[in-house]
Amino acid sequence: MTLSLQSLSRRYGAVLALSEVSFDIRPGEVQALMGENGAGKSTLIRLLAGLERPDTGQVLRNGKPIALGGPADAEAAGLRFIHQELHVVPALSVAENMHLHHPYPTRAGLVRWGKLRDTAKRALARLGLTHIDPDAPMARLSASDRMLVRIAATLITDGPSPWLYVMDEPTAALTGAEAERLFDVIGELTASGAGVLYVSHRMAEVLRLARTVTVLRDGRHVSTRAIGDTTESQIIADMTGRDLSADVPDRTVPIGTSPLLQVAGLTTATLGPVRFELRPGEILGVAGLAGSGRGALLRALIGASPRRDGTVTMGGTSLTRTTPPEAWSAGIAYVPRERRSEGLMMHRSIQENVALPHLGPLARARVFLNRKAEARMVAKRGAEVRLKSAAPSQSCDHLSGGNQQKVLFARALAGSPKVLLLDEPTRGVDVGAKHDIYRLIRSLGDTGMGVILASSDLPELLGLSDRILVLHDGQQAHLVDNTGLTEADLLTLCYTKEAAA
Amino acid sequence: MSALFRRFGSLIGMAAIVVFFALALPDTFMTARNWLNISQQISMLAVVAAVMTVVMVMGDFDLSVGSMASLAGVVAAVLFVQGWSVPAALAAAIGVGLIGGLFNGVLVSVIGILPFVATLATLTVYSGAAFLVSDGKTIFGRDIPATFSDFARSGMALGDIDGRPAIFPALSLVALAVTAIVWVVLEQTSYGRRLYAIGGNAEAARLAGVPVTVLRLSAFAFTGVGAAIAGLMYASRVASANPVQGDGLMLTAIAAVFLGMTLTENGQPRVLATLAGVVVLGVLDNGLTQMSVDSYVREVLVGAIILIAVSASALGRRGLFGR
Repeated sequence: MTLSLQSLSRRYGAVLALSEVSFDIRPGEVQALMGENGAGKSTLIRLLAGLERPDTGQVLRNGKPIALGGPADAEAAGLRFIHQELHVVPALSVAENMHLHHPYPTRAGLVRWGKLRDTAKRALARLGLTHIDPDAPMARLSASDRMLVRIAATLITDGPSPWLYVMDEPTAALTGAEAERLFDVIGELTASGAGVLYVSHRMAEVLRLARTVTVLRDGRHVSTRAIGDTTESQIIADMTGRDLSADVPDRTVPIGTSPLLQVAGLTTATLGPVRFELRPGEILGVAGLAGSGRGALLRALIGASPRRDGTVTMGGTSLTRTTPPEAWSAGIAYVPRERRSEGLMMHRSIQENVALPHLGPLARARVFLNRKAEARMVAKRGAEVRLKSAAPSQSCDHLSGGNQQKVLFARALAGSPKVLLLDEPTRGVDVGAKHDIYRLIRSLGDTGMGVILASSDLPELLGLSDRILVLHDGQQAHLVDNTGLTEADLLTLCYTKEAAA
Repeated sequence: MSALFRRFGSLIGMAAIVVFFALALPDTFMTARNWLNISQQISMLAVVAAVMTVVMVMGDFDLSVGSMASLAGVVAAVLFVQGWSVPAALAAAIGVGLIGGLFNGVLVSVIGILPFVATLATLTVYSGAAFLVSDGKTIFGRDIPATFSDFARSGMALGDIDGRPAIFPALSLVALAVTAIVWVVLEQTSYGRRLYAIGGNAEAARLAGVPVTVLRLSAFAFTGVGAAIAGLMYASRVASANPVQGDGLMLTAIAAVFLGMTLTENGQPRVLATLAGVVVLGVLDNGLTQMSVDSYVREVLVGAIILIAVSASALGRRGLFGR
């Protein structure tokens, strides 16, 4: 049994997320799928899962095309998907959760609870998961056990048993020991003849588990190599190679000397300690793998998560108990990662969204709204960030992703901040808007603003940053000058733990 | 045309209700005297609905307003009995409203209980307190000072209408004043804009430097004070106070806000739209009473009209009408 992907392409608006991707997936082994953010891994999985349809191309099983019109088709084809965020019902038992996608066994319309439990227990035992009690409420299980239960549940099936598992970053939320259990289960699955398409950023896992490695870059298939024929540096070389130099203009103004922002021993529940200084005009990149604490660092600086220890000093004055209102009024501005949930009031106008942090200073007598001044602010900052909109009264839900991001930039810049915090500023943004945003970030640095840029996009970090802070499991691992640094160097730093700081 | 209908359908419906009563009751409905009467009938509801709008703007609501109105009424009355002066007793009753509102605010914004649960519990607490304070009795007659009960009968002289002197009722003036204050606060101040921001996206507002906890707390305090004022208006109007007389205000006020939301562009609560909702409910009550419709039937009709308006608005937003 072999699954062959043949010239799969998928376009979202102006972005070609997947372009003519072809490779084979075989049963009985783990095949790793690697690539940077935006390489097309997620799109590929969505196509296989039947959540979206390819624009062109097809998927063959043993040479015969299979329909992938919806999740049911993928299931009928023997594919199963294990995502990092699992859909479980915490209040129900393990056995009940394992039967969510199947009818409960019944007799005369009544549930046969004994049979339900036995079926669940047998499925768990097949994967060696005897430590999980089928009667335990799902809520009491650890994140890893929940995932293992989900995997075991796929063995309960009325049709042909599944033969290909697609696992998307399965270890992202697991500890080392928990991951070991998952690896044992993956071993059981492959020994029984099933294949695993394993998507992960974690090099060590890939090198250990996979027999072949497929790398995507910019939506294209770069390589599929047997693990014996490749090396870590070869994989990194395959993943990297995007060139942004055309997009990012060079620095024209030198960085200032006296420190603008000093951070020492900064610690929160998930982060730290972190120590660095930011100088006027400097762009400090923040790199790290998923879950390494890039976003957590910015949230700590804007005061969104409570600080446990450490000091933050802005231009000589210490910010004691930082909360978002304090941080904004001290001259720190923030563009959060999730535009919809953390950034915008989607159903309110552009003007209201931009003016929100600046209502106090704008208001007449500090109390009454000054809509004219707001409109002037929106016009000025909107032009600065090249916001394309019909009118300032336009509601944000009608804007494109790129323009929504520009609204957040306009909001951040409207108070003329000294320090700008950017979390994944070009995520889900089209090429044109990306270009605008890069130019904008560079020009802000040139005006003497300090910028902290957290990103999973390595070329972006390398193209813009003066120095790069690398985080590893919430801790500061490296702080390096971005001179002569290659993408492969930076990726290697993200993978290595030794604290050089 | 269909876009117009979507935008103004609700307003057309409301106008139709008025036209209906004008035709059905040609002699009595469309008279200045009747409208002045309606304005007084709805004045308490208008106050409660206006301050309910303040919390609903943030996506919250306050179920305790009705029992707070009752409590404020009996607190004032009991203090009258004990010989307090009218201004002192009124100030104390409004103080109770402030404290009750702050308490709701602490439960919702500091402790983080869902508004439904928190204010359902305080509804019971305030109602029980009203019974305790009044000993379960109605306080009336000589215990209520004439200066207090006369207020509801006073008003601004409008000269003669149909040969008899007419006044613009004082309670209606209070309702207008409260509505105007709420309008200024919600629509013209940065405070109000921030409340709307919390309703638009609380997490985004927090990250953009809006002090969400403090604002939510203060908004509930605002609502508590408004509810107490409505309770005092009620007590003045009936020249008595009992521990349940304000209870009915809560559901009707929420209904009025929802009716108002069918009028606004994005389905957001706005205080002038709320006032329109209050007027429609008042007109329905007045007109159906004049037509001698049984009061139980009246309740069914009012509920049905609210459902029709809100459903039509929901369907319109989903684009099932027109487009």
